[in-house]
Amino acid sequence: MAGSGKAHLRPRDEVLLRVEDLVVEFPAGRGRTVRAVSGVSFDLARGETLGIVGESGCGKSSAARALVQLPPPRSGSVRLDGRELTTLRGEALRRTRRQLQMIFQDPISSLNPRRRVREIVGEGPRVWNLPGDRVDEVLEAVGLDPATAAVRRPHEFSGGQCQRISIARALILDPEVVICDEPVSALDVSVQAQILGLLEDLKARYRLTLVFIAHDLAVVKNVSDRIMVMYLGKVCELAPSADLISRPAHPYTRALIASIPDGGLDLPPSDTLISGEPPSPVDPPSGCRFRTRCPRARERCAAEEPQIRQVGEDHWLACHFPALPDPEPPVEDSNKE
Amino acid sequence: MRRRLGIGFWLAVGWIGVVLLAALLADLLPLYRYDETLAGPPQTGPSWEHPLGTDGLGRDVLSRIVYGARVSLGVGVGAVLLGLLIGAPLGILAGYRRRAADAIIMAVNDVALAFPALVFALAVVAFAGASLRNVLIVLAVLGVPAWVRLVRGATLSFAEREFVLAARVLGTRDRRILWREIVPNVAMPAASYAFIGMAVVVVAEGSLAFLGLSVQAPTPTWGGLINEGRTLMETAPHVVLVPSVVMFLTVLSFNLVGDRLRALTDVRESGLEPVRQVTVSPMPVAEHQVRDTLLQAEDVRTHFVTPRGLVKAVDGVSFTLERGRTLAIVGESGSGKSMLIRSILGLLPGSAVRGGKVYLSGEDLTARTPAEMRSVLGPRLGTVFQDPMTALNPVRTIGTQVTEPLRVHLGLGRKEARAEAVRLLASVGIPDPVRMLGRYPHQLSGGMRQRVTIAMALSCGPDVLFADEPTTALDVTIQDQVLRLLHRLREEHHMAVVLVSHDLSVVARWADEVIVMYAGKVVERGPAAEVFRRPRMPYTQALLQAAPRLSDPVHHRLREIPGRPPDLVDLPPGCSFRPRCAYARDRCGQEAPPLVNGSGHQYACWYPRPIETAIAEGAESSGR
Repeated sequence: MAGSGKAHLRPRDEVLLRVEDLVVEFPAGRGRTVRAVSGVSFDLARGETLGIVGESGCGKSSAARALVQLPPPRSGSVRLDGRELTTLRGEALRRTRRQLQMIFQDPISSLNPRRRVREIVGEGPRVWNLPGDRVDEVLEAVGLDPATAAVRRPHEFSGGQCQRISIARALILDPEVVICDEPVSALDVSVQAQILGLLEDLKARYRLTLVFIAHDLAVVKNVSDRIMVMYLGKVCELAPSADLISRPAHPYTRALIASIPDGGLDLPPSDTLISGEPPSPVDPPSGCRFRTRCPRARERCAAEEPQIRQVGEDHWLACHFPALPDPEPPVEDSNKE
Repeated sequence: MRRRLGIGFWLAVGWIGVVLLAALLADLLPLYRYDETLAGPPQTGPSWEHPLGTDGLGRDVLSRIVYGARVSLGVGVGAVLLGLLIGAPLGILAGYRRRAADAIIMAVNDVALAFPALVFALAVVAFAGASLRNVLIVLAVLGVPAWVRLVRGATLSFAEREFVLAARVLGTRDRRILWREIVPNVAMPAASYAFIGMAVVVVAEGSLAFLGLSVQAPTPTWGGLINEGRTLMETAPHVVLVPSVVMFLTVLSFNLVGDRLRALTDVRESGLEPVRQVTVSPMPVAEHQVRDTLLQAEDVRTHFVTPRGLVKAVDGVSFTLERGRTLAIVGESGSGKSMLIRSILGLLPGSAVRGGKVYLSGEDLTARTPAEMRSVLGPRLGTVFQDPMTALNPVRTIGTQVTEPLRVHLGLGRKEARAEAVRLLASVGIPDPVRMLGRYPHQLSGGMRQRVTIAMALSCGPDVLFADEPTTALDVTIQDQVLRLLHRLREEHHMAVVLVSHDLSVVARWADEVIVMYAGKVVERGPAAEVFRRPRMPYTQALLQAAPRLSDPVHHRLREIPGRPPDLVDLPPGCSFRPRCAYARDRCGQEAPPLVNGSGHQYACWYPRPIETAIAEGAESSGR
């Protein structure tokens, strides 16, 4: 998979957020480097929900944090509404923050235990010197009763309610893009359904554009218009949600779908599609990073990194030997070396 | 609040308050002057005129103690506050800014910590002169490194929390983040440490005064009083005893307050926090028949007495399990599913009250003592838990951990055990098992660690394997591998498996029978395929429809269960699910529905969903 390349990006004037060649690396001690994200590109049209899915260590959360420049990526470009964020520092960067908000995985840890809900949600307007009279409105929008909830502290709420407070805090600034980093993975099934429904409602009400990151493909499919599959810091496949699930072409996407107990697809058992464990992002394999677990891998996969190419309408993938439905062999040299 | 802090805390606070007030108001109190000699006859014991007696020069001891408190407490409080004033900003800077600031501050700090503190204090006081100011400054400076370290640690732990990240995403400036997000959280541990620090400084000042290196006579200090009284030990012991006792009580009080404050920050609030054990009469067990089956649970109950009330974590669960079958227990958090298997295994915290019976091949396990249970856990009942890291000892090699049960329970020799361990590790799909023996848990991935715990659970050939959320912490592709492995091992070893999971799709694929739990009770049970295809209890049905499935269309609206799981301390009357149930009627609020029998598929509901709609609405849910 390994995929690099930007063939799948849409024209600049059609997208709200455009990410090119994002690279995120961390020191891992003893002079080594964790290559969390290695040359990932994607874009978001206004009002769209892009799902990013992958297993732990695939770089999806690192990519999310690089989008909000916390910390800024090692290299690459993040353009929001035409403005480059990666070169901004200090006050100039702070000025852009209203447009880009984030919701985190751990609902308890994302709220300051010593502050009351009204302060937590009202923090955004206070920082931006906006009138704070919208606190009640957003609390109501996320399904909390302002009269009783606003004066309480986070520990008096359940996980699901805490996540609603986090959402209210993000929404009160009227952001253009909200990045949801595993927003429901810490929640019970019944609460998860409530939060997913709430996100859909709010998206329509506030005309939001969402990046929805999760490890659960079924959850991602539920809310996303398009899904991008990542593996070990690279893009594998990117397609409209229904298309990706019904016609997965990348070997890793297929393994991921087959691993889900009720995949409901005619895929062979997952253990014939994937083997072993993910390698360390400190020392990723050469060529295609998925090749060490891929039953279809051949010599070329070790030697040459596949580039992202189109395999269907708005269906993109980075693989030398994909499982395409049509019998004709994959066009191997359609991309330049 | 009052109850959680305890009476000792308030006594300690009271004592500190009394001493502090007396010291502050000393000039207003009807006391003799502390330096008035021959205020009474020298060396007399307590009397009406002199409640604590007089010293060798006939000075009033009470007065000297009170004025001495000015110095002792003044230095104690003053030095700690001064140390905090210098140390806290440095600690916050180091913890929040990290990088260069952190490296420099901590390097200097480590050097400072390496200084022999008391020697330094003695030298400075001897050189600069023994005055209140000098003593205070020296003791404050000596406390700074510890403050820096403490505040930095606390800051670090909060600076990495997501609410700080969220504040930065909001565009909050650093200064405001420090004041509003970090300082309030660091304040509590700092306050706790301040009290303990005060105790240390009071003792340190006492030591200096005892050596004559604190404030000079005639100004009294506690340490000085003890020193003076030393010579009168035989003729007038009260002269040395009284200041000693006062100092002892004060130091004890400071430590106690500090300790309780720290406990307050450590304890996480939860309804299940066991606080004190209350003896509860044993729960009666209903008449039942011991069946000829591998595992039989009969009316299992697990209750906790908490400060908020009685929590019925498990409330009357019965089932039987045969070899070669997998029983799944599903439910959301708080449903009691994990408590149920802990109860069966006898692995409960001390505050739990257990009721009901558990039979393994007809033998009553609940009659066994914890020591007797040990011979069953392992050889006959294997366990695999959610987090393999907690099940494995981080400082011992995989080899010692896998061979230990083999040697203890099966009595194998070192060599045999090693060979068996290699075989076991290979059987759970670990590549290169010989090399694996020498490695430590942290060197393995989560999936590999879980395989190792499975190998350990299987090592003594158990009859029943209990797996509590065995794959929840694992990636989805690894999860599938591990579940396949468990299934294969069940066949090979002809075991029974009890699989606890919140994930319905996992259960639907791998279980033969399923028990659905809600608020400690079984609400539906039966053959897995049957329960998932035709759920009758509205909760099961709603749960199935709330879970997203790959086969659903994009932007499919999931079924939302309104409200949230009930508070176990305050369950609604009648059916626990009633407040969230779309089909509830009057009767549901009055009587709890029993588990009714219907061809092996049982459900606890007065108004079960008709089979036809259940099929229509829940058809795809099992989706094998």
